[in-house]
Amino acid sequence: MRRLACSIRFLVAFVVSALFAMSQTAQSQTTGQNNARSLNTQDLSGVWQLAPGGGGQGPGDNFPPLTAWGQAKYDANKPGYGPKAAPGGNDPILKCDPMGFPRILFVIWPFEIIHIPERILMFFEGQHTIREIWMDGRKLPNDPDPRWYGYSVGKWEGDTLIVESTGFNEKTWLGAQGQPHSDEMRTIERYRRIDQDTIQFNLTIDDPKTYTKTWYAEPRLIKRKPGVEIPESFCVASEEEEFARRIREPAARQPGKE
Amino acid sequence: MKLQVLILALLFLCAPAWAHHGNSAYDEQARVPVKGTVTEFVWTNPHSQIYLDVKDKNGNIVHWAVETNSPGILSRAGWTRRSLTPGDEVTIILCPAKNGAPVAYIGSGDPGTKVIFADGRELDFKDKTAQ
Repeated sequence: MRRLACSIRFLVAFVVSALFAMSQTAQSQTTGQNNARSLNTQDLSGVWQLAPGGGGQGPGDNFPPLTAWGQAKYDANKPGYGPKAAPGGNDPILKCDPMGFPRILFVIWPFEIIHIPERILMFFEGQHTIREIWMDGRKLPNDPDPRWYGYSVGKWEGDTLIVESTGFNEKTWLGAQGQPHSDEMRTIERYRRIDQDTIQFNLTIDDPKTYTKTWYAEPRLIKRKPGVEIPESFCVASEEEEFARRIREPAARQPGKE
Repeated sequence: MKLQVLILALLFLCAPAWAHHGNSAYDEQARVPVKGTVTEFVWTNPHSQIYLDVKDKNGNIVHWAVETNSPGILSRAGWTRRSLTPGDEVTIILCPAKNGAPVAYIGSGDPGTKVIFADGRELDFKDKTAQ
């Protein structure tokens, strides 16, 4: 009798365990593999790449009306891409100038996000550049030296990383289409990880010297690139000059003007 | 085998302009096969380069220069710095310069551009690491 009771208890325990396991499996299947891994949305570590999308290799062509100063600067920019595209041109990166911010974000090449104490680093394949975002609660400096990549501070609001930047020089374009900016530019980036492989990215540009209103760039997605290493990828002026001599200039030369 | 330039007016619709490394010096609507012998493969950032000797209709050698993607992009598409070596006989499906110079572009932004070896092997620009 005791043996029978023991067997029944064992059988019940087995059935309950099996049912529990089955329900867990079903639950993980319905909630999806990503959530089942208990995603930490405040950890963006890894290699990522901007997904192709509206705006192309820049914040887009949907910019607000330009000021007179901004229009003059835009007219002087001769890009190789977008509505103003023409052979040759004066894109600063043709001389290996730093791409600057935010243009570097719009290059559809991998970049790595690295969390270290008090900072988040973005290590870009494009021009092999590191950008730092201070996460220690400091404020933006009042009178920063102008930089190619500006000065950036970040904070978490729930699952969204918010990065504010200022302190830019005026030597860079915002994108490959030649959109200008001034040293008064301030930007706000928002990164929200919506699943294991995807970050929603939004960018706001305030630059009253160049644009008459705040510019909300085309929202974009950033996708994870597991297993990809960032290769050495400097832009080297001597190599670029040789490339220009052998390919860019012959391709852009106008017949009869040699 | 006599090498010759095959200029065929093959026109294809391109991917949307924003999808690629747009370069207004090239006719990115065209896909032109050019057959020749590789003389040099330059594996540099941000533009790798392929140089080849091509015989024109009159039997004269024309030196072609072909711009392509960065080593990073090419690596993710399965290329290495040894993918092309001098002496390789290849046909390149390319976007020629609009000005008629023997200069061209091939790369990830222009689907259909590629390198085809004499044995039929191909090098294209599809990202093998894409999810």
